[in-house]
Amino acid sequence: MNAAKTVWNGVREEPTALWSLIFIMAVCLGGFLAPLLSPYGPGGLDEQRILQAPGSSHWMGTDALGRDLLTRVLYGARVSMTVGIGTALIALLIGTVYGLISGYAGGNLDHLLMRIVDVCYGLPDLLIFILLSLLFGRNIAGVLVALGLVTWVRFARITRGQVLQAKEFVYVEGARAIGASHARIILRHILPNILAPVLVTLTFSVPGAILAESTLSFIGLGINDPYSDWGTSWGTLAQDGWRAMRTYPHIILFPALAIFLTILASNFLGNGLRDILDPRGGSQEK
Amino acid sequence: MLKQPRKNAIPSIPALITFFLLSSCNPFSPTGDLKTFRVNLGTEPPSLDWSLATDHASFNVIANLMVGLTEFDKNLKPAAVIAKSWDILEGGRRIIFHLRDDVLWSDGKKVQAQDFEYSWKRLLNPKTASEYAYILFDILNAEEYNQGKIDSPELVGVKASDDRTLEVHLKHPVSYFLSITTFEVTYPQRQDVIEKYGSKWTEPGNIVTNGPFLLSSWKHENEIQLTANPDFFLGKPAIDKVEMFMINEKTTALAMYEQGRIDFIDNQSIPIFEKPRMAKLPGFKAVPQLRGYYYGFVTDRRPFDDVRVRKAFSMAIDRSVFPKILHGGERPATSWIPPSMQAQNPKIGLNYNPPEARRLLREAGYPDGKGFPQVTLAYNTLEDHKTVAEAVQGMWKRNLGVLVRLENQEWKVYLKKLKTDPPHIYRSGWGADYPDPDNFMKLFTSLSGNNDTRWKNPRYDQLLESAAREFDEKRRIRLYNEAQRILCEIDVPIMPLFTTTEHTVLNPRFTGLEFNSMARLFLREVRPASR
Amino acid sequence: MARFLLTRLLHGLAVIWVVITLTFVFMRLAPGGPFDRERRLPPEVLANIAAKYHLDEPWLKQYGRYLLGIARGDLGPSYKYVDRGVSDIVTETFPVSALLGVLALGFAVAFSFPLAISAAYYRNSWTDRSCLFLATLGVSLPHFILGALLIWLFSLQLGWLQPGRWEDLTSTVLPTITLGAAPAAYLSYLLRSSLVESLEEDYVRTARAKGLKEATVLFKHALNNSLIPTLTVLGPLSAALITGSFVVEYIFAIPGMGRFFITAVTDRDYPMIMGVTLVYTGLLVSANFFVDLLYSIVDPRIKSH
Repeated sequence: MNAAKTVWNGVREEPTALWSLIFIMAVCLGGFLAPLLSPYGPGGLDEQRILQAPGSSHWMGTDALGRDLLTRVLYGARVSMTVGIGTALIALLIGTVYGLISGYAGGNLDHLLMRIVDVCYGLPDLLIFILLSLLFGRNIAGVLVALGLVTWVRFARITRGQVLQAKEFVYVEGARAIGASHARIILRHILPNILAPVLVTLTFSVPGAILAESTLSFIGLGINDPYSDWGTSWGTLAQDGWRAMRTYPHIILFPALAIFLTILASNFLGNGLRDILDPRGGSQEK
Repeated sequence: MLKQPRKNAIPSIPALITFFLLSSCNPFSPTGDLKTFRVNLGTEPPSLDWSLATDHASFNVIANLMVGLTEFDKNLKPAAVIAKSWDILEGGRRIIFHLRDDVLWSDGKKVQAQDFEYSWKRLLNPKTASEYAYILFDILNAEEYNQGKIDSPELVGVKASDDRTLEVHLKHPVSYFLSITTFEVTYPQRQDVIEKYGSKWTEPGNIVTNGPFLLSSWKHENEIQLTANPDFFLGKPAIDKVEMFMINEKTTALAMYEQGRIDFIDNQSIPIFEKPRMAKLPGFKAVPQLRGYYYGFVTDRRPFDDVRVRKAFSMAIDRSVFPKILHGGERPATSWIPPSMQAQNPKIGLNYNPPEARRLLREAGYPDGKGFPQVTLAYNTLEDHKTVAEAVQGMWKRNLGVLVRLENQEWKVYLKKLKTDPPHIYRSGWGADYPDPDNFMKLFTSLSGNNDTRWKNPRYDQLLESAAREFDEKRRIRLYNEAQRILCEIDVPIMPLFTTTEHTVLNPRFTGLEFNSMARLFLREVRPASR
Repeated sequence: MARFLLTRLLHGLAVIWVVITLTFVFMRLAPGGPFDRERRLPPEVLANIAAKYHLDEPWLKQYGRYLLGIARGDLGPSYKYVDRGVSDIVTETFPVSALLGVLALGFAVAFSFPLAISAAYYRNSWTDRSCLFLATLGVSLPHFILGALLIWLFSLQLGWLQPGRWEDLTSTVLPTITLGAAPAAYLSYLLRSSLVESLEEDYVRTARAKGLKEATVLFKHALNNSLIPTLTVLGPLSAALITGSFVVEYIFAIPGMGRFFITAVTDRDYPMIMGVTLVYTGLLVSANFFVDLLYSIVDPRIKSH
């Protein structure tokens, strides 16, 4: 409760962070309300309207099949934001639990768990990610799982580090002395302390995941299904536009702007949060 | 360890950008000399060993390094090259090739019939593990040798009876065998060279060839250089040097052409949206390809086990849309044998007819698509395939009221899935190995490994078998017409969509380049354009 | 000291072993095989190929064969580039990627240091904000969009630089910037925040109070102490940059190793996948090893950890 208040007060004082937050919320809302906001559907074929430049009936123009680009970008927000936030949450869940166990248990278990983390760091991200996405398929769940599995180690390391620090603190020692249970110590004393750095890492993981998905789309392994409730990701839209750069720049411009602005906003939000929660500007791990 | 930090680095960056933006001069405009010709190969050729090569990049290099028994003339008929003539005996079971005696290898030795015998047997040798070994399976005992059922290559029906004569025994009469001898995998090879260098025999310095150009350098993943062969038996080519680049990304390759750093580009170097613009450039030429694009129905999966549903789906597609969305001069097709091939017949097939399609669907029990089960259309990941699939999905929704689910997969996963867990409808295509209808029609026989429709029709198989042995053109065409009707009108296991076209642009400073309908590039006649 | 380094070394080797084992398993689990082609091969032809590459043996035997090969320094044949071994391909392409990586790293360092120093020094000023903005911009652009922008501007519009191929100095400019932008931004962040921290430390105040020149205080005292966190990330960062970036090498047609991280997987070229994994992990492990080594020299307390 208290932490939330600090964050809110802080965010209100940092105009960049505030605007970033508003922007991200607007993007999420736009994706959510896409069917209400746009008179066009995300799929279909309209031979008469192929590759129109931006104009009054199509604010962002139309694509190779005559589909309204603005609508596609709105639907794309669903995929891209879900990938961004979903991945970060999956990574957070695995990583924090892992880091907590490792840091709290200490000793040989900690040693073993950290060796596993070392191995995960040694894996070439992109390669493993592609192998995983082949295993899990090219739907949103597959990409989420694959990205989550590649990102969780960062959370594990940070959580463990924080737990080790927190363990040293007097109040944990005190709690232990009066015989508090492990669960209670973790919940009441350790978790609140690691919340700030984890929240910051979480904010930075969102743009990372969006970026990774768009790179994957560039290779042709992104998410794409124009008719399902999940649209086509921004990365896939931008990749479509890449090859039309010279003649029809609007096809790459708008999805690229969407990716860029969302990542920019998330990064600004992350910076703001870090300044608020961790004013000493503690070091970030890769 | 530290660079001396400069405090004014920040303002200087926007200043630099502004400077770049304002400036519009062009300090250099690169143009090559007229003796060097530069093309984009697209990718590193996986192998220049013509027994192991399987792809366009490799064959396009080999086609300029080597010549074989025959080559295609302008009408895609086999014409004499190393073979000066041939006799077809025993009703087509035996062919004797008579070879010229003035064709030289690049080390000065003469090309002999033994070099062909060695090459063909090497292709068939199970130890070579050649993917194209099956192309010679019409030869007596060839398949058995490749399968390891017989050990001795002596029993295979190809033999150099002397230096100038090559004798081929076939299992049964084969009307298209001469076409096969145009294919690079049947080019001669030098036993002494291959045995001396092993798998490194294709490197510059080791390789021995007989064609218009010589391999002078091969920087892997980067560039191949060829130089004119002064001793080529048809005369030294007009250009001295060829540089072949390996630029994967089309946008980059096109930018290179527009900067004058490449002299010839094809579909490999032209993004689809740029095609209309290319068509207006000097030196542009559209080359229709012997390559068909189709959707197949998996005919044992409901509801496509009902031929009425298959017909309805085929009739609900307006094929004239494809050239509009793909921009590449695609030619809509309702039948399978591509234009300019023997027995091609555009009258065969199901035309666009939405009312009739709806009627058939209603008859099958799905009025206006009601009650139609969830079906999946699968394609492999590639921009053109995606565009086609989304357009077709839109037309089916509009004309039949059926929303088909799209699924795209990475290539190898896709191929695996077609075999193990097929979707209802799949995308596929076929480019000619040799320009004979047999090569196209054989895809859908009962035993074909490429027939993923699981459709079998004994009559179809029988028609193809007869056509393969038929030497009379009229009778052959009749057989193929009947087979095509079964395939595209009566049973409809597939719906052909279109055949492809290559957009090519040749720098107007040059002329004489030949690019054929199987996407093969021949540079031996390239010369500076006369002004 | 020697013992510490030895354990780190053994530890590194163990990591490499586990990583290649994991990759081996993942790779075999991925659907589709190296010789699944559009033109389906007859079973007998496939059998010949499988026999040639020992693909008909059980996994465990193939795995053993592979480990033995590595021990002899042989990374096996490439299934795609049939005339060449994986070792040949790696030796030819790695130096190109390494050069590109070093250039990008150089660009990142040259760019980030002045940026971070001026930002930290004029903290919360206009300079600081614009530096932060620039840095955030750098990490917010996917490679392919930045690359597209650069090609569009410098090759197509201005015609100054060539859009592809790796020939001379001018051809390295665009890929270096594309690859170096994100690490430049990242390093700027990192260095700025640790500099901000050091500038508030007591010894900096003392130094200032003693009347030392501002430049001496900034570069000698504060910067030296801020280098440690930067050093830590330089290890993994250089490994990632040196093994190349697929996207950058692909866009600019650079004959490097990075592309194989993708193409080897899409071709299911198993030995090639293993080869690039081995190089990547080996490089990462040795980079971390050197960071440890540097650390133990800079700060002797660490070795007890």
